Amino acid sequence: MSARFHPSRATQRGILGMVLLVAVWEGVARGFALPAYTLPSVSAILGSIWDHRQVLLAAGAYTFAEAVVGYVLGALIGIVLAVVITLVPMTRNAIVPVATSINSVPVVAWSPLILLWFGIGMPSKFVMVALAVSFTVFVSALAGLDRVDRRSVDLMRSFGAGRLAILFRLRLPTALPLIAAGLRVSTVRAIIVAIVTEMLGAYDGLGWVIYQAVLQVDFVKVWSAIFVASAASLLFFGLVGFAEKRLVFWK
Amino acid sequence: MIPRRTFLSSLAAGAALLSTALTALPAAAADPVPATLRLKWLPQAQFAGFYVAAAKGYYKAEGIDLTINPGGPNILAENLVATGADTFGLSGGLDSVFAARDKGLPVVCVGISHQLTPFVFVVRADGPIKSIQDFKGKKVTTWFTGANHVLKAMLTKQGLDPALVDIQPQQVSVTPFVDGQIDVITATRYNEFYTIKTRMGEEKLRTFVAEDSGVTFPRDTLIVSETTAKEKPELVKGFLRASIKGWKDAFADPKGAVDAVMKVAPTLDRAHQEFMLTEVQKLMTAGKVKEDGLFWIDMDAVKITQQLFLDAKVIAKPVDLDATFNRSFLEAIPLADRRP
Amino acid sequence: MSSTALQPPAIRPGASPSPFAPLAGVLLRGARGLAILLAVLVAAEGLIVLFGVKPWYVPRPSLVIGAILATPEPYVQGFLRTLTETLMGFVSGALFGIATGVVFFRAKVLKELIFPIFVVSQTIPVIAFGALVVLWFGNTLIAKAAISFYLTFFPVTVNTLLGLESVDPRQEALLRSFGAGRFQLLRRLQLPAALPQIFVALRLASALSLVGAIVGEWFGDTVGLGVLLLQGMYNENVVAIWAAIAMCALLGTGFYAVVAAAERALVFWGAEQ
Repeated sequence: MSARFHPSRATQRGILGMVLLVAVWEGVARGFALPAYTLPSVSAILGSIWDHRQVLLAAGAYTFAEAVVGYVLGALIGIVLAVVITLVPMTRNAIVPVATSINSVPVVAWSPLILLWFGIGMPSKFVMVALAVSFTVFVSALAGLDRVDRRSVDLMRSFGAGRLAILFRLRLPTALPLIAAGLRVSTVRAIIVAIVTEMLGAYDGLGWVIYQAVLQVDFVKVWSAIFVASAASLLFFGLVGFAEKRLVFWK
Repeated sequence: MIPRRTFLSSLAAGAALLSTALTALPAAAADPVPATLRLKWLPQAQFAGFYVAAAKGYYKAEGIDLTINPGGPNILAENLVATGADTFGLSGGLDSVFAARDKGLPVVCVGISHQLTPFVFVVRADGPIKSIQDFKGKKVTTWFTGANHVLKAMLTKQGLDPALVDIQPQQVSVTPFVDGQIDVITATRYNEFYTIKTRMGEEKLRTFVAEDSGVTFPRDTLIVSETTAKEKPELVKGFLRASIKGWKDAFADPKGAVDAVMKVAPTLDRAHQEFMLTEVQKLMTAGKVKEDGLFWIDMDAVKITQQLFLDAKVIAKPVDLDATFNRSFLEAIPLADRRP
Repeated sequence: MSSTALQPPAIRPGASPSPFAPLAGVLLRGARGLAILLAVLVAAEGLIVLFGVKPWYVPRPSLVIGAILATPEPYVQGFLRTLTETLMGFVSGALFGIATGVVFFRAKVLKELIFPIFVVSQTIPVIAFGALVVLWFGNTLIAKAAISFYLTFFPVTVNTLLGLESVDPRQEALLRSFGAGRFQLLRRLQLPAALPQIFVALRLASALSLVGAIVGEWFGDTVGLGVLLLQGMYNENVVAIWAAIAMCALLGTGFYAVVAAAERALVFWGAEQ
C-alpha cells in the first residue's frame, strides 16, 4: 500500500471548509468581543477542553458506552423486524402500524416515562437509544429488502432455493447498502439521544457535564462538551463506516 | 426572479413608509411596556403571587404587559436575564446570583423571596442516622443546582468532610428513597417533602434543617439586568409593586391563588399545591420580613452567605455587593404596602 | 380490480394498482386505521384491568382520555402550538435541504467545501444547542422552529443529493441531445427522478421536526406538548405523561400520514412523466 497519505481533492476541500469556518468563527468572536455566553472563541473552547480533559474524557466514554449498547440493541431489533416481515409477509400489516405508532411519538417524548421507570442510570439511556435507532434501521432495512427484484427471487426459487437461502444469498446482500445507510445515520442519533436523556437525569456523561456547566454559567465548558460530543459522534460514524466498507467491499 | 436592485430599493421604500406612518400616529397614551418574568422552575404554587398579580391585572395597572415564562431543568434565569432574553428573573438563589456575578454576568438582585433555606434533608426516623455526623459513608442524593452547597456547608460546619459522604445527583422521582435505596434525600419544604410524607407518613421521617447548623441560604432571588436597573427604574418599581400586591392577595386567599396556578398548569395536584403555598408563605414571611416587607434583602444574611461561598470555593473572589444588590427599588415602595 | 390501460410502474410491491381513486383509498385506510385503534384501546383497557397493571406503568386508556377531557385546553393549545413549530421547522428544513442538495449536486466544489460542515453540525447535540438558542432568540416561536429546522434539513440534503446522483446518465445524455439546458434537465428529469429519494427523507424529517419542536419546548415554554411532558415528569403524574404522549402520537401520525399521502400522489404522477 502507499507509504504516504495523499488526501484526495475532495478531502482537501473538506478540510479547507472546516478551516475557513473556524477562522470566521474565531474572527467574529474576537473581533466583536462577544461575551462568552453568546459565542466563545474557538481558541477559548479548545483551551477549556484541554483544562477539563479528564472530566470530558470520562464523561465522553460514559456517553459513548450508553450509545453503543443502545445502538447495537436497536440495530438488531430493526433488522430482525424487517427480516420477519420479509419472511412472513402477513406480519407487515401488524408490525408496520405498531412500529409507526410507537415512533409517531417522537423519541424524546418517551424520555420522561423511561426515566421514571428505569431511573437516571445507564439502563434508561440504553432503552432510549435502542428506541431511536431501531426505527431508522427498521425502515432502511425494510426499504432495502423490498427493493429486491421479484424476477431474481423467482429465478432462485425455480432453482429450488428455500426461503432462508433466498434471504441470505439475495435479499440481505441487495438490501445491504440501504441497511448500511440506515446504520450510518443512526450512529449520530445514538449519541445525541443519549445526551438528550442525560440532560434530564444522569449520574455522569456529556449531557450531565453540559447541564452542570449551564448552571455554573460556564458556557465555554458547554461548548467544550459539545465539541467532545461532536467528536464522539464522528468517531462512531467513522467506525461504522469503516466496518461497512470492509463488509460491502466484495460488492 | 426579482432583480436584486429592485428588491432592495422597494424594501428601503417600504421601511421609510412604515417609519413615517408610525411617527405620524398620535402618541398612544402609555402603551403597556412588554416584559417577561422568567421563573426558576415549572409553574407551581411556589410562584402563585406572580400568577395572581397577572390574573388580577396588577401588572397592566402598572403599565407592564407581563408574560410569565416558566423555568425548567436546562434553564438558568441569570443567563436569560443577562442576555436580555427575559426582563425579570426569579432565579435559584444567592448561590446562582453570586456565581453569575463571579462569571461576569451583569445581573442585579432587587429582592429575595425565601428568607430561610427551603431545603431539608430527610431520613427515615427508625434508621441509623440520628445526627449530621451519621451522614458519613451514607448515600445522600441532592440537586446540584444549589442544594449541594447547603449540604456541603452543613457538613463542613459540623466538622464532617463532604468527601466522606457519598453524594450523588438526585433522581426525578422520590421512589428510590421511599424504597430504601437511598439513605438521605434532599427535599424542598414545599414540594418533595409533601410527596415523601404523603407516601410514607410524616411520623416515619426525620429532617435536618440548615439553620440548625448555623447555615442560611436565602433562595428565590428576583433579578434584573444592569441595563434594566439603570435605564428602567420605574419598570422595576412597578413590577415589584404589582408582585407584592399579588403575593399579599395570594396569602389572603390561598384557594384563589391555587386556582390561578392550576389554570396555567392543570395537571398539577391541588392538595399538593395548597400545601406548597402554605409552606412558601412561611418562607417568604420569615426573618425581617414582618418589619421590612416582602422580598426584603437582608444584607447581613447576604454577607454571611458570601463568606460561606468563599470558604466552599463556590466563588473565586468576593463580588461587588453594592453592584449586585439593589434595595432602592423596594425602598421606593411605601413600607405599609410591602408588609405582608 | 381490472387493470386500467394506463398502468403506472410498480413503485413498491403491494402498491395499489388503481391511482384513480386516491380519495376513496385514503378514507378507507383512515377508517380501517381508526377501527384498529379503537379495538387496540378496548383490548388494552381490558388487559390492564385483567392483569392489574399499575397506573405507574401503563394507565388504562379511559384514565388517560378522562384526564385529557377534564382539562382539554392545555392539550388542544399545546397540540396547535407544537404543530405550528413543527410545520415551520419542517418547511424551512425541507426547502433548505432540497436547495442545498441541488447546489451541492451542481457545484462539486461547494459540496466538498461545505458538506463536511453539515455533517459535523449534525453531531452537535441539539439539546445542548437548544440552551444556547433560547439565550439568543428568547422564548419565541422562532427559537423552537430554529431547533426543529436544525434537525430537519440534513437528511433532506443527503437524500436530495443521493436522488439526483442516481439519475440514469443515459437519459441525461438523451435529453441533452435534444437540446435540454441545465435548468430544464433539473426540472424535468433530475428532480422528478430524485423525488422518491427526497420523500424518504421527508418522511424521516416529519418525525425529526416534531422532535425538535418538543425539545425546544423544554426550555421554559408556556404552551406545548413538550411542556406537558416535562410538567408530567416533574410532578410524577404518569397519567398526564401518557396523555401528552398520546397527543404527540396523534400529531406525529397525522403529520407522517400527510407527507406519505403527498408522496403517493406526487411520486406516482412524477414517475408517469
